[in-house]
Amino acid sequence: MEFSRYGEDGVRIVFGDTIDLEVNKLIRKYYFFLKALGLKEVIDIIPSFTSCLIRFDRRRISFSDFLLLLKDKAKDIDTVRVPEPRSHEIPVRYGGEYGPDMKFVCSYAGLTEAEVVEIHASTIYTVFAVGFLPGFPYMGILDKRIYAPRLETPRLKVPEGSVGLAQLQTGIYPFESPAGWRIIGKTDVCLFDNKKKPHSLFRIGDTVRFVAT
Amino acid sequence: MIEIINPGWFSIVVDSGRYGYADVGIPASAALDHFSYSMANYLVGNEMDGPVLEVTGSGFSLKFDVDVTCAVTGAEVIAYLDDRSVMPWRSFTARAGNTLRVKEVLEGFRYYIGFSGVMEADRVINSFSTNIECRFGGYRGRPLLKGDRIELNSARIIGERFIPEDVLPSLSPPYILRILEGPEMGRFTEDTVAGLIEGGAQSWYTVSAKVNRTGIRLEGNPLVFKKGVDTTIISEGILPGTIQVPGDGLPIITLYERTIGGYARLALVAKADHDLLAHLKPKDKVIFTIIGVEEAERLWNRKIEHFYRALPQ
Repeated sequence: MEFSRYGEDGVRIVFGDTIDLEVNKLIRKYYFFLKALGLKEVIDIIPSFTSCLIRFDRRRISFSDFLLLLKDKAKDIDTVRVPEPRSHEIPVRYGGEYGPDMKFVCSYAGLTEAEVVEIHASTIYTVFAVGFLPGFPYMGILDKRIYAPRLETPRLKVPEGSVGLAQLQTGIYPFESPAGWRIIGKTDVCLFDNKKKPHSLFRIGDTVRFVAT
Repeated sequence: MIEIINPGWFSIVVDSGRYGYADVGIPASAALDHFSYSMANYLVGNEMDGPVLEVTGSGFSLKFDVDVTCAVTGAEVIAYLDDRSVMPWRSFTARAGNTLRVKEVLEGFRYYIGFSGVMEADRVINSFSTNIECRFGGYRGRPLLKGDRIELNSARIIGERFIPEDVLPSLSPPYILRILEGPEMGRFTEDTVAGLIEGGAQSWYTVSAKVNRTGIRLEGNPLVFKKGVDTTIISEGILPGTIQVPGDGLPIITLYERTIGGYARLALVAKADHDLLAHLKPKDKVIFTIIGVEEAERLWNRKIEHFYRALPQ
């Protein structure tokens, strides 16, 4: 764990420098630990692939005191029980009107659509971060055989539920939004609900399997 | 009740923001100019974190069907209540049947309109702020349109209040933005960084036409990455005011609608200058100048003192 400052009221804690399941486990553990502590000095925690970014309440505590507090608390990390990751099955309609980039992904990979679907749906993915849009899961690790670069120019709009991939990641757009990832399918599962708790279907560390329908 | 006659370019309901859920990607969607926003509430006698309207562009007008105290803060505007001119930064009484019209924006970009009482808006996940992309909060989760009617509960008239002139923000470009080192500053050439420190020609940028509540894209001399370094990062958390630089070298100042970014984070705008970001409009010039974090803290403290100086003792 490497602590550094991020602006006046941020602390960045780096756990690794690659997309890695072990790093994800460490970050997940630290995130749930910090959340369970319920420190009044903490405003927001953003866990992602390689780090946790914490925004603290500078009116309550200075950076140096907050850093000491975090380091002191970190000794107790093993006293908190971390919830088990949840596993999700997400039905997807692949290709056709639901997956405007399926043809590109197939030709880039030199595979048939059936093969791309088979590969995409046979991997169990891990949620590395939730963000960009509320509830958007950054998932990995995609099978190298279906690697595809991002769009050069993002689409202005993809429908809610669009399933995309980019490099070695796959994700689902919870809302109609602009998108730079290659869209290969669509799901009807609701990923984010502002009226229900928890608001986001996914949390860091959850596992996801896609099922072709 | 108020009825929107003309929403200007863009107007939404905002408050001090939505916090505590950035872990699942829920952004703050806060009022961009926090000082002006808070003062709009103070002037009309509301809680300092109540909902107000955040408006961009001239032409905005609304009609009252109640008697209520009202105030306009933020950008320097020329506004009228029917044919009577109203001063910004000073509360005024609107009567049922009056129309408030913002004829011109002289300096700055966004302004705030507060009303005594409680604007009936959707409070979602602890905030009235509108999340436009996800369509929740504020007025039906969307920008205001002509003909929208917003209920004002417990509308009332209070004594006149004003903000002393010496604490008002100075809004005239070029804007000097003080910035702090970001995690990926080391990916840029020494010349690029030196240019930002000295505040030389290299540090002048022009605000492009791509300005919205998510971010501000700048145009000018591209910032130069060192040879062979990655121009993207493994997506990671960002805070408001983070300056990201995509491969084309042109900086983007991220505002209050994103929690995760994927471009190199060159720098962060110092907190003391965050309110200014609300007022960067296309073609404005900005000058970056790097400062240390102690200096940033000092400036922020001064800004907070300033804030309290605006309020009566």
